[in-house]
Amino acid sequence: MTPVVQLESVSRAFGRSRDAVAAVSDLDLAVPRGKFTTLLGPSGCGKTTTLRMIAGFVQPTSGRILLEGADATKTPPEKRNIGMVFQSYALFPHMTIIDNVAFGLRARGLAKTEVTARAGEALELVGLSALAGRKPGALSGGQQQRVALARAVAIRPSVLLLDEPLSNLDARLRVQMRAELRRVQRETGLTAILVTHDQDEALELSDHMVILNKGRLEQEGAPRDVFPRPASRFVADFLGYENFPVLPGHGPVAIRPEHVRLLSSGEPEDAGVTLEATVTNVTYQGSHCVVEVNANGLGDGTRLLCAHPGEAPRPGEAVRVLLPAAHLVTLGEDAEAAR
Amino acid sequence: MIRRPLLSLLTALAFLIMLGPVVILLGVAFTAGSTLTFPPEGLSLRWFAAALDYQPFISSLGTSLVVAALSTVLALALGVPATLALQRGLIPGRGVVENLFATPIIVPELVLGLALFQQLMVGLQITALATLVIGHTVLLLPYAVRVVGASLALSDPRLEEAARGLGAGPLRTFFQVTLPVMRPGIISAAILAFITSLNNVPLSLLLTGPGVSTLPVEMLNYVQSSYDPVVAAVSVLLLAASVAVALVTERLVGFNKVFGR
Ligand SMILES: Nc1ncnc2c1ncn2[C@@H]1O[C@H](COP(=O)(O)OP(=O)(O)OP(=O)(O)O)[C@@H](O)[C@H]1O
Ligand SMILES: [Mg+2]
Repeated sequence: MTPVVQLESVSRAFGRSRDAVAAVSDLDLAVPRGKFTTLLGPSGCGKTTTLRMIAGFVQPTSGRILLEGADATKTPPEKRNIGMVFQSYALFPHMTIIDNVAFGLRARGLAKTEVTARAGEALELVGLSALAGRKPGALSGGQQQRVALARAVAIRPSVLLLDEPLSNLDARLRVQMRAELRRVQRETGLTAILVTHDQDEALELSDHMVILNKGRLEQEGAPRDVFPRPASRFVADFLGYENFPVLPGHGPVAIRPEHVRLLSSGEPEDAGVTLEATVTNVTYQGSHCVVEVNANGLGDGTRLLCAHPGEAPRPGEAVRVLLPAAHLVTLGEDAEAAR
Repeated sequence: MIRRPLLSLLTALAFLIMLGPVVILLGVAFTAGSTLTFPPEGLSLRWFAAALDYQPFISSLGTSLVVAALSTVLALALGVPATLALQRGLIPGRGVVENLFATPIIVPELVLGLALFQQLMVGLQITALATLVIGHTVLLLPYAVRVVGASLALSDPRLEEAARGLGAGPLRTFFQVTLPVMRPGIISAAILAFITSLNNVPLSLLLTGPGVSTLPVEMLNYVQSSYDPVVAAVSVLLLAASVAVALVTERLVGFNKVFGR
């Protein structure tokens, strides 16, 4: 099956040629059909620029963009059949909700009855049929978000593009809307690309996640594959790995605080690396304590964080720390450093 | 209000300064006497009748309305596309261009009037009416650009992209999204421009020719020769017309929409 969207070594620079800044560099991407793909990365890594190039609002400086297998690099946005949901929602303030949702259908010149039917259907999908006659100004942020989603879905786009659609919502609503997004994507069977810098959002929503760093692809794959096996220090850092010791015989590795274990005296050692360490700091976190230790054996004191569920040791105490082999991730170089 | 005596006092003072002259004007206009004195000596409408009988006022009012209407339309026709280009297009040196549009506000109107008089009326032999319209258009252009620009700046710049993404071409996007979003700004710019033109003296003073004069200039001429309440009556009529325009606008679009949020 051809991917819905393909990027072939796409680059985009901003500014005059002399002091141009590369927002996206040499990006290759294939977006799988009917799946939920997320573009994940820190602020300024080129996520929005990538999405806007797919939508046709920004032209690549070089490279090709293929939609449904055909070169669409030069195609204007209105001919691409994409459904975009903006961070600011961008609802038309002078139109009612139903007219907002029907806008794309009317632009396609569909018959009146079909416009009415499909707009109503899309509004029902997001549960807002009761508000059809209101103006966007009279809706809450979450409701506006749903309208924006309905408007994008109504045109039955070949791909749904979402640029941090949940970032303007409060924490609880955001989690609720995540589930809603997932449900709408499943029910419609649409291909979706979501941009976010929130790793939880990406892990929960995506079938396929793409991690960008400074405009370059750092790693991609299913969350279940990427999360336990980050390929580089950058990805590990971004996914919440906090310990990066260099172990004799292993080289640079990464391990999450919740996988580091403090051994009580006499406890048999599991497979892994055991280190003698001194506790330097303890922070209470409710369900567990974060114990900060200095590993004596590793050069001049490698600092390790350990999420410890039991009774916390005191600062200054000598402890034994186990880094279980099953959770040690051997790191490659960052994509950028490798070039 | 009661707990803040100083603030109430200042508010009252402000209203007095703003409305005082209007009250005096009204009193003088409705007087039965024959001098510009306040309080009025009895009430009558005789000065309104006199004003409507005075031919130069009537013909100059016609000129004023034509000039105000034409220059408002022209200023908007030039200003709206300019604003769109400034706000939504990628114009190099945007700041410079934006400030250029403000120069008519900075350059004294008498200087502008003199330049136009020299170049257009004397140099190119263009009629007084046409020169007036051109002069007022130049005068109003900054207002048009500023007011329309302010309303456009408040709207989401992604709206046009949203429309394009949904399959609307550039024309459909302009007429169904951009223009309706700018409508309140255009209406308020039109009102402001029309009233500014209608009340203008310095520029009109230099550009009026034989037989072509605007109402404010004619009023100025009148005061210079006679000292009776006719001018006050005309002023009240102008004031009433302005208020009427404002009220109708309020009814049609609502001031909250016209002037910001
Ligand atoms: N129109 C533009 N003109 C100049 N530079 C731009 C423009 N758009 C983006 N950039 C630059 O390109 C880089 C990538 O920007 P982009 O908006 O794609 O990042 P992002 O990953 O979406 O970030 P965020 O998470 O903050 O939204 C940034 O350094 C940004 O400053
Ligand atoms: Mg962004």
